[in-house]
Amino acid sequence: MDDLPSPLWTYLTSDNRLTGTWRSALPRHRDVPSPCRGACPVDGHIAEWIGQIRDGDMHKAWLTLVANNPFPAVIGRVCHHPCQSVCNRSELDETVSIRSLERHVGDHAIAQGWRLPAPGPATGRKVAIVGGGPAGLSAAWQLMRRGHAVTLFEASDAPGGLLRSGIPSYRLDKAVLDAEIARITQYGLDLRCGERISGRAGLEKLRKDFDAVYLATGASRPRHLPGLAPDSALARDGLAMDGAEFLRQTNAGETPPLGRHVVVIGGGSAAMDVARSARRLGHDVTILALEAEETLPAQRDEVIEAREEGISLVTGARVRAIEPAVTPRVAGLTLVCEKVRFIPGARRGEFTVEALADSAFDIDADAIVTAIGQDADPGIWDGLITADGALASTGDSWQTDLPGVFAGGDLASMDRFVSAAIGMGKEAAEAIDTYLNKAADHEAVNAPEVRFDEINTAYHPPAPRQIQENRPVEERLDSFIEVQLPLAAEQALAEAERCFSCGTCIYCDNCYVYCPDMAVIRLERGYEIRTDYCKGCGLCVAECPTGAVRMMAEVQ
Amino acid sequence: MEKIVYNDQGLFHPGHVACGGCAEALSLRVILNTMGKNTIGVVSPSCTAVICGGYPMTSTSIPIFHTTLETAAAAAAGVRQALEARGEGDTQVLCLAGDGGTYDIGLQALSSAAERNEDILYVCFDNEGYMNTGGQKSSSTPTGARTGSTPTGKTTHKKNLVEILAAHRIPYIATASPSDLNDLRTKVERARDMRGMRVIIVLIPCLPGWGIADDSAVATARLAVETGLWPMVEIFDGRDWRLTHRRGTRSVAEYLKGQKRYNHLQTDDIEALGREVDEGWELLNARLGQGPAGGSGNPQHRAAANTG
Ligand SMILES: Cc1cc2nc3c(=O)[nH]c(=O)nc-3n(C[C@H](O)[C@H](O)[C@H](O)COP(=O)(O)OP(=O)(O)OC[C@H]3O[C@@H](n4cnc5c(N)ncnc54)[C@H](O)[C@@H]3O)c2cc1C
Ligand SMILES: Cc1ncc(C[n+]2csc(CCOP(=O)(O)OP(=O)(O)O)c2C)c(N)n1
Ligand code: SF4
Ligand code: SF4
Ligand code: SF4
Ligand SMILES: [Mg+2]
Repeated sequence: MDDLPSPLWTYLTSDNRLTGTWRSALPRHRDVPSPCRGACPVDGHIAEWIGQIRDGDMHKAWLTLVANNPFPAVIGRVCHHPCQSVCNRSELDETVSIRSLERHVGDHAIAQGWRLPAPGPATGRKVAIVGGGPAGLSAAWQLMRRGHAVTLFEASDAPGGLLRSGIPSYRLDKAVLDAEIARITQYGLDLRCGERISGRAGLEKLRKDFDAVYLATGASRPRHLPGLAPDSALARDGLAMDGAEFLRQTNAGETPPLGRHVVVIGGGSAAMDVARSARRLGHDVTILALEAEETLPAQRDEVIEAREEGISLVTGARVRAIEPAVTPRVAGLTLVCEKVRFIPGARRGEFTVEALADSAFDIDADAIVTAIGQDADPGIWDGLITADGALASTGDSWQTDLPGVFAGGDLASMDRFVSAAIGMGKEAAEAIDTYLNKAADHEAVNAPEVRFDEINTAYHPPAPRQIQENRPVEERLDSFIEVQLPLAAEQALAEAERCFSCGTCIYCDNCYVYCPDMAVIRLERGYEIRTDYCKGCGLCVAECPTGAVRMMAEVQ
Repeated sequence: MEKIVYNDQGLFHPGHVACGGCAEALSLRVILNTMGKNTIGVVSPSCTAVICGGYPMTSTSIPIFHTTLETAAAAAAGVRQALEARGEGDTQVLCLAGDGGTYDIGLQALSSAAERNEDILYVCFDNEGYMNTGGQKSSSTPTGARTGSTPTGKTTHKKNLVEILAAHRIPYIATASPSDLNDLRTKVERARDMRGMRVIIVLIPCLPGWGIADDSAVATARLAVETGLWPMVEIFDGRDWRLTHRRGTRSVAEYLKGQKRYNHLQTDDIEALGREVDEGWELLNARLGQGPAGGSGNPQHRAAANTG
């Protein structure tokens, strides 16, 4: 060959031609938030930990979970799962059962006895937390892992807040709660149960003894109806009771002494919990709610399960008067009721009602339990904390008007969910961390969430959602045994397979393999675009099964 | 999700001048790297010629012999003879040609090489037209498609090259698609490990020629498979037919909709095309039932039987 005249032969490879100049936009690999994560109150990295389940690495999945939420087994049972309502997969067939998967990991971690990862180096700073509910415990864990020393003051004799005294065991087994709380208390938490922090002096002392204070005392002041308050005649006669107190007693294993037929007033989760707990103690139960059935604030599943358990629902109605029963032999009281139209107000919790003409009816009852909500009481520190209605007033990062004092959970928000409380605890801990250490850097997400049309569904064949079964009704009512059964291991794996991993690279190599220009290189973990050659065709983006590559403007 | 696997040995280089997003460059990448370094390419005038060449540069790490449009298969057979004469029988000859060079202008050379059972692997990149010259119709252009030379849509049918080749009773024929690179790789491996005349026809959605977006060649090819328009088959000895992808059930209209070359079609035309696809499958189904093993012969076994 060498003696042929050289112009006949090519003597360069095309690597010398930089086709990158053809391009008008450049693909970028970047972790893009999934919609489920956007909706998750703890900012859970859902795509990531579901991917880790799929890869068979349960421990990693659990570590990813606890980084944002130390209660996966709890939240995997009781979360209102706003993530599932926005899951991209629901546009293909059905949402991914994110909550069931979270419980799967959480239960596995408890069974394995896994411990929380070691904290960072001690900072020498001390933080006091008031209130041991999900908000306070979440903040405690987030502060301790950042090396701060935490003392938690809890008024009652055990931490957990409403997880212990509100949510009944048939929805959240106390052993599960104890296991997840123990991991936090054994992490070096200085836990002081039976210490109620109140009054100006109580809070001032904490401010003096600690570098920062987090208030998370919840909302424990029950709202009452006229004639049914704890100091009413009916209450004194054992004919009326407050729902929070009823649940506190039943959660502590006590049996409130009420007559056979109990009417529960209220349409939220708490009312369902009272009713279903009463049912388990052998009562006949009727729920009376202002809202129409479709708009009950309780979750749909709870209403269905309450019905299955033989509870009667009277919706769109209210009590006008309570009278001694016409037929005392059957029941002690007669509730004189009427039908109403419920009109929600502009803010959560606000509403008006209009009575419907000629709609009067009666309900007989032996006892009435009121569960119409609870308010926070930011006044217990004698005005030290500025109130905004019945909430503690806080700024962008949960700081109160009092320097170094932060507040969250039910005390500072009407977002009355466990996940919201955990998320607020985390956010406050980050804010406290920044307050104590100005250099602290906290993850901020600003890329737009992955849309369904960014997912290449050719790589995601239709697959039915795995159903988490409930215990049959016959087995539910003679104890407080958990209703919801876990997913089987194979089910969990099949469900994890259904997740698109929106915005999270699964290292499938598609972008690398599909590039007609060899412009994607594989790194040890991840990929890089060779800008010299990438023509900007977007094929790597189109064939990415997860939406983790996006075309971006090159010059911002 | 099934991972796409092939070992990229770097035999295809960046800096080539295929359109951005070209599925032919993509398929070529898989084919070259699967064939390996001990291969000589014979390329007819086509997009492939442009992609491989661009004097004084080459985008392949294997030698390429650029031949004429009429003679690709004959030239490849010549290279084969020369290799045999030099005692280099283990070097593969890979002939790469477009549909114009295969269905039309080079058909005679192809038929003769097939009849002689020349020991070459012939790959036809079927982009359904003369595309590097600006998009004229070929006998592979489907009914109804608009090209530069069929401005109101082509009135004749797409030639059935698979049937023609099968009639030659050559050891191996396959169709493939850039939407299934594992399948393409498997077919190239299978062909590479056989001897005699082997032909693989790869469907290549042409971005400018079909009027599709730069990032959609693979998605378009996928739709061709999933609508049943592009049956994925393997044929051993012209007799033993196998399907490598079940007939897709998506509507032909869905496939046509995404391509500007079909913009003008009316409902009747679309229905007629749907019937054409059905007829193609009737014929294919009849073939599938006729092989020695009822169309399901073990390809590994047959590959071995054909070697040497
Ligand atoms: C019956 C019921 C059922 C619910 N079910 C669900 C559900 O299924 N899913 C869901 O997402 N949400 C549910 N919620 C809402 C959820 O439980 C609350 O939003 C959440 O627990 C609030 O957490 P927190 O930490 O702010 O307060 P809490 O859980 O109320 O904890 C506050 C803690 O502070 C302590 N404390 C109070 N004052 C003081 C003080 N002065 N000094 C020291 N300690 C003090 C209390 O003893 C308590 O332990 C339910 C609520 C109720 C009432
Ligand atoms: C006999 C002859 N006629 C015309 C040409 C000009 N020509 C070069 S490539 C080409 C188109 C080939 O079409 P096809 O084989 O389908 O390849 P594609 O460009 O579509 O990849 C034509 C017409 C030629 N080289 N030789
Ligand atoms: S498919 Fe997975 S990552 Fe995407 S929204 Fe649903 S759960 Fe989240
Ligand atoms: S496939 Fe390759 S050339 Fe096309 S945009 Fe992606 S990296 Fe660039
Ligand atoms: S194509 Fe696969 S490897 Fe590439 S970014 Fe997307 S998920 Fe990651
Ligand atoms: Mg062509």
